[in-house]
Amino acid sequence: MRSLVKFFSSVKLAIVLIILITIASVVGTLIPQNRGAAEYAARYGGLAGFFTGLGLTTLYRSAWYLGLLILFALNTVVCTLTRLGPKGRRAFGPARTAAPQALAAMRPNVRFRLPGTLDEARARVTAALRDRRYRLDAKAGEGRIDVLARKRRLGWFGSDVVHLGLLVVLAGGLASGLGGRRADLALVEGQTAGVPRAAFQVRLDKFETEYYPKGGVKDWKSRLTVVEGGADVLTRVVEVNEPLRYKGYSFYQSGYGTDWNAARLDLEIRRRGDPAFVKPLTVRTGVRTPVDDPGVTSLLVRRFVPDFVLGEGNQVRSRSEEPRNPAALVEAWKGEERIFAGWIFAKYPDFGQGHAEGMKARMTPGGQAAGAPAPPIAVVLKAYAAAPYSVLEAAYDPGAGLVWLGCALVTAGFFLAFYWPPREIRIALEETRGGTELAAGGHAAKGRDAFQAEFEALFRSVRRPE
Amino acid sequence: MTESTLFTIAFAVYVASLLVYFAALFARRERWSRAAALLALLGLAAHTAALVVRTATSGHAPFTNMYESLSFLSWAIVLALLIFARSARTPRLGPYLMLIVVALVALASSPLMPKEATPLVPALQSYWLWLHVSVTLLGEAFFAVAFVAGILYLASPAPDRKERFDALAYRAVAVGFPLFTLGGLVFGMIWAYRAWGRYWAWDPKEVWSLITWLVFALYLHTRIVMGWKGKRSALIAIVGFLAALFTYFGVNYLLSGLHSYA
Ligand code: HEM
Repeated sequence: MRSLVKFFSSVKLAIVLIILITIASVVGTLIPQNRGAAEYAARYGGLAGFFTGLGLTTLYRSAWYLGLLILFALNTVVCTLTRLGPKGRRAFGPARTAAPQALAAMRPNVRFRLPGTLDEARARVTAALRDRRYRLDAKAGEGRIDVLARKRRLGWFGSDVVHLGLLVVLAGGLASGLGGRRADLALVEGQTAGVPRAAFQVRLDKFETEYYPKGGVKDWKSRLTVVEGGADVLTRVVEVNEPLRYKGYSFYQSGYGTDWNAARLDLEIRRRGDPAFVKPLTVRTGVRTPVDDPGVTSLLVRRFVPDFVLGEGNQVRSRSEEPRNPAALVEAWKGEERIFAGWIFAKYPDFGQGHAEGMKARMTPGGQAAGAPAPPIAVVLKAYAAAPYSVLEAAYDPGAGLVWLGCALVTAGFFLAFYWPPREIRIALEETRGGTELAAGGHAAKGRDAFQAEFEALFRSVRRPE
Repeated sequence: MTESTLFTIAFAVYVASLLVYFAALFARRERWSRAAALLALLGLAAHTAALVVRTATSGHAPFTNMYESLSFLSWAIVLALLIFARSARTPRLGPYLMLIVVALVALASSPLMPKEATPLVPALQSYWLWLHVSVTLLGEAFFAVAFVAGILYLASPAPDRKERFDALAYRAVAVGFPLFTLGGLVFGMIWAYRAWGRYWAWDPKEVWSLITWLVFALYLHTRIVMGWKGKRSALIAIVGFLAALFTYFGVNYLLSGLHSYA
């Protein structure tokens, strides 16, 4: 136990750990983190398995990196605690009788003789020290007084406050890592969504994208209402950099998009062999819509993609979220029989129509057999619209408060450590025949030049009071 | 006057200051050194005006692209130089630090750096942009002082001079480290928390800030607790500044991540 404490109180260990953590962190920025196995295989070939096995591809969550952080935290705790006792005595302990050699060993130090009695000498010394804002403790003995003068005593603890702050930050990180959760909520206007594991919901009232005059997104704004127990409790506009916070949860504007899966399409139905026949029809994706026509009883848009491409294996997918090549997979039904299915394109109204069967055979496996009669109608995709949705990230982060507290401690500790240098002056006054012998020594860990100047000025004024 | 005129004036005055600094160093004229510092101050005034004009015309903080942040970093280094010029008690800090300033300003002026002010993407529209970047770059300016002091330490043959460079480096770190911690790590975390909902994402830029910070923590502990001074301290200060530079430039160009805009 004792040797363990000794091990963990060592600053050498801290230095080794700082170096190891630094090197590990560098490695983690050179190897891209949290990518797919295929990417690592392409990048590193045979080494990929080795890297993954060592946790180098999820380095900051790997057991050994966390282990280093834990050792570091233990090191900080033990190291700080073992030094606290002596420092506390230095800062707050009582005045003691100082041996002359001890005072002479201090830097800076002085020794001289004052005329007058012990009490007169004490009064002079006290006045000079008080002028310079020292706090005084004294121990009176037989013909002798030991004065202990200190100021800015909290400065001794700057490093301890920094170390404590770091521990609090690490604890906050741990709490966030273990207890934090987040979920993306994609909402269209008017939609309400439950927040995972919270007893309230949020509703998106309005979603707006603002643009700069020259193009480019200026801001996204989502007006969110918190709904709890069936009642609206709070409404706030969430923007990037302006999250909504409620009951430990925060809601961030994290993305946006268009809900193409629920697109609303304006179609035109034409009858073959009757060019005068044009019938508009509005449908929603996935909803079968009745058609008043002898050959076709209903239409169904099975799927809509804003930017049609044929991917691998002739799979239809959307290249982007922008409506660059909008296409709909339309099915025509007669009663309970599907009589044709084919893709129609807003930009190429003639394409697809005559090829409905061929397209279908290529693209909708399991569809109707080839060679079926040509469909009695043609469908044109005239217009399409879909609601924009806003992606809000709901985050529950139980560690953030600790992290801010730790940061405040670190900052305060820096101030104390670097800019609140503590000072200590020990003075022994001893009555001698016809005067008083004064011996003094000073101690400062920082700003020694300034302290030396103060020390000298102080004792000059003791010698020759104005 | 336009921003680019003011910036060019500042550049010219800095170059003049650099020349006078080196002349003072080689001719051993202390008074010339003071004239060089005065020129640096004049350059700083023009540079400040350039930053103000840019802020007024663009309507946002003057550090949203490489040109702007280079300009601000060089501004901060001149400020750090003027703060330390007197108490450094060496005629060498001025010329060598000014050399870095002139190099950075030249880089900012080069055609490599697009200069037009572009509207801010939503994530950058925050007063934390001001706090985070300005305080971080200010901290890095003091790391630049420690860097020059470290190099001078290694290059200098005279022990009494070495002593001064060592003390100077420590004082610069004592200013730069708290500023860098506050700006780079604390303000960065607060802003990330507001904009992305997470205060720390192990993004390469974040990790490199942490690395820079760890190097300076190493500097302090080896020095204070193990009594390392001089050569090893100087080397750590140099490595620390290089890590800060890499965080600032290298990460943008060589590694990818969330911070890709600045
Ligand atoms: C990277 C994390 C750390 C930071 C940022 C940090 C920060 C500091 C700071 C600012 C000081 C005061 C320096 C000065 O007064 O000039 C200090 C002192 C000190 N630190 Fe750390 N520290 C860290 C980790 C550690 C660890 C793990 C240990 C454990 C061994 C440690 C042990 C000490 C000791 C013994 C001092 C001596 C000064 C005193 O007792 O007042 N530090 N630290």
